[in-house]
Amino acid sequence: MDHFERQLAQLMHSTQEHRAFEAGHRERLRAGVRTRRRVRTARRAAGSVLAVAGIGLGLFLWPHAPGSERPSAPRPRPVISPAPTPSSSPGPDDSPSAPPSSPPVTRTPSPRGTTETSLPPSASGSSTPGGPPTGTATATFPGTATTEPVTGSASPSYTSPAAG
Amino acid sequence: MEQARAGEYDAFVAARWSVLFHLARLLTGGDRHRAEDLLQESLVKLWFVWPEVADGAPEAYVRKVLARAAARSARRRWWGERPVEELPETAAAGDLSAAVAERSRLESALAQLPPRQRAAVVLRYYQDLPDHQVATTLGCPVGTARSHAARGVARLRRLLADVIEPVG
Repeated sequence: MDHFERQLAQLMHSTQEHRAFEAGHRERLRAGVRTRRRVRTARRAAGSVLAVAGIGLGLFLWPHAPGSERPSAPRPRPVISPAPTPSSSPGPDDSPSAPPSSPPVTRTPSPRGTTETSLPPSASGSSTPGGPPTGTATATFPGTATTEPVTGSASPSYTSPAAG
Repeated sequence: MEQARAGEYDAFVAARWSVLFHLARLLTGGDRHRAEDLLQESLVKLWFVWPEVADGAPEAYVRKVLARAAARSARRRWWGERPVEELPETAAAGDLSAAVAERSRLESALAQLPPRQRAAVVLRYYQDLPDHQVATTLGCPVGTARSHAARGVARLRRLLADVIEPVG
């Protein structure tokens, strides 16, 4: 602390004048305390009202929430294998792209470790499951149904009967 | 219980009123009315925390509230002043004592400082607080408080060059 700083500190102390705490100051202080108390009470009451209103609104909207109508489990994916040959193994692109109205296809594991696919009898077509594996399959559905020959990959594309 | 609390509070305020008012006046750059408002506001806040701070350091609490409120309220542009056609009172020549003139110079010099520099200088040189307590009171890092005080003193050194005579 240099000379100027010491002088500055001394000047700040020496310029202090004595002022008594008078009755007017006390009354003003009391009034300020009462005002602030009222403001705090009003603010607390307003907060309580807002909290109750928020909780009530939440409870009112709770049964109508769109989330409550969601299914409890994910919808089951259709199990379908359009693989035409009995010895075809499911590949990574073996995803069913058939419409939901396509005939169900069941897959049964064979003792040889391959998967056999059988179509129901109602699915009239020219597919011959018991035929020799030729590597291509042709499925015919009523209407226009001609499918592209599948060579190796088991992702046939079907043409909708209503489309033709 | 309430009476005892009020009695202790009144005793503290009465004992420290003069010092706290001078602190508020320095923090506001000599504005007496703003100093009274600031002190009133700080003491009202003290009343509501009195049970917690009465046994500790109530003056430190008031000091912190005062310094922060002074720095905050000084940022407002309008302090309730209104222009008038004539000055309400003018000082007659020769009726001011040397002490009052000295105080006026000090307060007018402090009023030219930015509020945070002024608060740092007042806390450092009037309250004799070390740097870390100035920083705690103002709610800023120690380096920032030290910088505020140094810049404030440097400016006061120029403003008060004729009041505080240099050594030699």
